[in-house]
Amino acid sequence: MEKVLIIDDDPDMVEAMKVVLESKNYEVHIAKSGEEGLREMRRDKPALIILDVMMETTDKGFDVAREIKWDPQYKDIPILMLTAIKERTGLDFGKEAGDENWLPVDDYCDKPLHPEDLIAKVDHLLKKHNP
Amino acid sequence: MMSVKELEGLVERLYWLIRLRCIAVIAVSLTIFLTGHVLDFSLAILPLYSIAITLGVYNLLFFILLKLVKGRETASVINRIANAQISLDLLSLAVLVHFSGGIENPFLFFFIFHMIIASILLKRLASFLQATFAITLFFAVVVLEYNGILSHYCLKEFIVHDQRHNPIYITGISFVFVSTLYIAVYLATSITRRLRQRERALEATNIQLEEKDDVKNEYVLRVTHGIKEHLSAIQGCLEPVAGGITGELNPRQFDLVQRAAHRTAKLMFFVKALLQITRIRLSREIKMEYFLLKDLVSELIGYASSKAVDKNISVSFTIESSIDKIRAAKEYIQETLTNLIVNSIKYTPRNGKIEINIWDKGSLILIEIKDTGIGIPKDEIPKIFDEFYRASNAKEVERDGTGLGLSIAKHVIEMHNGRIWAESELGKGSKFSVELPKRGYREE
Repeated sequence: MEKVLIIDDDPDMVEAMKVVLESKNYEVHIAKSGEEGLREMRRDKPALIILDVMMETTDKGFDVAREIKWDPQYKDIPILMLTAIKERTGLDFGKEAGDENWLPVDDYCDKPLHPEDLIAKVDHLLKKHNP
Repeated sequence: MMSVKELEGLVERLYWLIRLRCIAVIAVSLTIFLTGHVLDFSLAILPLYSIAITLGVYNLLFFILLKLVKGRETASVINRIANAQISLDLLSLAVLVHFSGGIENPFLFFFIFHMIIASILLKRLASFLQATFAITLFFAVVVLEYNGILSHYCLKEFIVHDQRHNPIYITGISFVFVSTLYIAVYLATSITRRLRQRERALEATNIQLEEKDDVKNEYVLRVTHGIKEHLSAIQGCLEPVAGGITGELNPRQFDLVQRAAHRTAKLMFFVKALLQITRIRLSREIKMEYFLLKDLVSELIGYASSKAVDKNISVSFTIESSIDKIRAAKEYIQETLTNLIVNSIKYTPRNGKIEINIWDKGSLILIEIKDTGIGIPKDEIPKIFDEFYRASNAKEVERDGTGLGLSIAKHVIEMHNGRIWAESELGKGSKFSVELPKRGYREE
């Protein structure tokens, strides 16, 4: 069973996603904050991380994502970022590291995620990173 | 100290003065012709016509000058041009008057017009200075003719005795002339001063209103984001249940949960549309790029055709081959056109027809989306672009529309400096037209 770590402070959203992912036999772990998430990641390395952009403060999710990507041990973990990113213009996956517009995640999508879309994105990211 | 609008207004008024001067040239020439040839006064025909021609020539030169500085106008440059025009006009009038009777010429009164014009175009001090210049010219003519330095061209047919040496006559006319000019300037500048104050106050109020609108829109944005957050959680929890992921439900449970999920989805759609239109209203400008319109629309048609097939609606598309790339905010245009096409499909009954045509209109392109749909009642056509407005016959086809799609479309097109409008006949069909500048801004 592949392990998915969800880092999001909305307990209802998290529970809904957990139900959906567990129905497809993923092992789901939860963290309610960025710090908790990083701790959990180091304790038991997940195959994929689902990260909410807005926790406590706006864009906290980006800081967490950058920390993960800068850590050589964990930078290969695919990150799926949640919430409305389209509002911020100029963000582009194609940008290089170091650019302030660098989006340190592998995919993003708007909340709420329909169950089929969530499964599809998770499957796709895992296949891409663990061929 | 001059705002951009005031400067623009002044430039406009200078063009108006140039047009006025054209009429003056014609009027002067006609007057010379009438009095000199028809009424057969003994006039210095040649010098008079020369002045009329000079008037026309420097009028043309000022016109060219204004066109040359276009785009780089500053307050000081425009003020100098305005002052120059008025001073030259005063000089021309003085010379005209000299060659047609001097102090005996009733057209001395026409100096008042220039005082009014000066008061409209210039500030109070400059207007008084121009008045003083006019008075100096007047006295120059009178004194020089009096001393014989300049010859006097007496209007024998108009006035019996040569008055140029009559001190009482000279004093009388001079007094009236000087006082008239200064009083005219004072009155006219007082009026224009008050008008300008009102203009500035209105401009300031406009800016205030815009800021208040921004505050309101930001408030709406914050509130709507809050709503969306909770709504997301609700939808997130409902959908797995409605979709059967949490296990089977009895028919009643299934039915009610389905209804809840359905309504939540509709509400989410509405909330997203509200967010979008509020964001557009807050943004002052959008990022534009060049792209091939043909490719964009072909993609849309492909997407639309799949929806139209279910209702057996035929979709046709033509675009003039001369249309290449246009500059616009690609995603916004894509969404707007999708909206319009999807609307057409939605409100067109089975076996209908939708035509999409794009015409090349020089610096603009014209997109027409015609359908054989239910149409829009005539008195409701102007209202359909209003926020939240839904036509009375639309509700029969689609119960819960947001009423925001067309107002979003209107905002987007207007941000591109374009136009969008609708024509329709109830029961027969509608035609939505979108006019877009090719470069994203209107060219003259």
